[in-house]
Amino acid sequence: MQPGRYLRNALAINPDEQERLAQCRALVVGCGGLGGFVLEYLGRLGVGDLRAVDPDTFSEGNLNRQLLSSSLNLGRPKALAAVQRMQAVNPLAHIEGVQAFLTEENAAQLLEGCQVALDCLDNIPARRTLQKACALAWVPLVHGALGGWLGQACVILPGENLLDMIYPDAGAEHGEEYEQGALAFTAGMVAAVQAAEAVKLLLGKPGLRGELLVLDLLNGSFERLRLA
Amino acid sequence: MISVNTHEQPWREGLNVQALLDEMGFIFRHIIVRVNGEYVPEEAYAARLIADGDDVQVMHLIAGG
Repeated sequence: MQPGRYLRNALAINPDEQERLAQCRALVVGCGGLGGFVLEYLGRLGVGDLRAVDPDTFSEGNLNRQLLSSSLNLGRPKALAAVQRMQAVNPLAHIEGVQAFLTEENAAQLLEGCQVALDCLDNIPARRTLQKACALAWVPLVHGALGGWLGQACVILPGENLLDMIYPDAGAEHGEEYEQGALAFTAGMVAAVQAAEAVKLLLGKPGLRGELLVLDLLNGSFERLRLA
Repeated sequence: MISVNTHEQPWREGLNVQALLDEMGFIFRHIIVRVNGEYVPEEAYAARLIADGDDVQVMHLIAGG
């Protein structure tokens, strides 16, 4: 018997799939614009175990888009806000908050027991560290990024190293987001794609493979660009 | 004709990457260009000619979260 909270999932996700999701663990790296929405979607959907990683605390500049931020928790850790939010939204989902950077040293431990990882980070070197760790741990990674009205997402299977195609300049740390800013609806859209791709990976359904989904919310266009 | 991302685009003799970016309105500073899968660094945009039938990929470099 499924909990009533998943009633409206049931026509799209069958009881066996819902039960499988309850047994899954997802690592969400970054609890800012992308990570806040990703955690919300995965937790509400019924992914049973979430590990949320972020070293930062909230500042006023986060309030325009970061779901977990509010005028009441400025200065407080993002990872803690993720835990408090999920405990209120879905107590059936276990969530662990980790207030730390993901590094080469702690990545294997953070990925332990996870069937999928989500790249909700805000800089290129950290994204590369996560990709490398996921390849070593043989965990699929769902990448997401945004800059202004533009967003992108892709699925990176272990060993594919698609970030090297997306970020070919080995020295780059940031991209267009420093010129274009970050908007709430772009974060929400990219996070929605990431959550959907993560759930499809967990349920063994076909999804984005070897392609980058590019969203341009100013022009209203979605394109799939070949990466591999 | 050439293909740019998912679109067909007219081709002309002497077309280079910089001219194509200008004509298509790619004005952002951080852009990644590949021609037939080969990465073209920014300093080579003006010199890199595009041939009829080439497959050009233009991506904005975005990394915000």
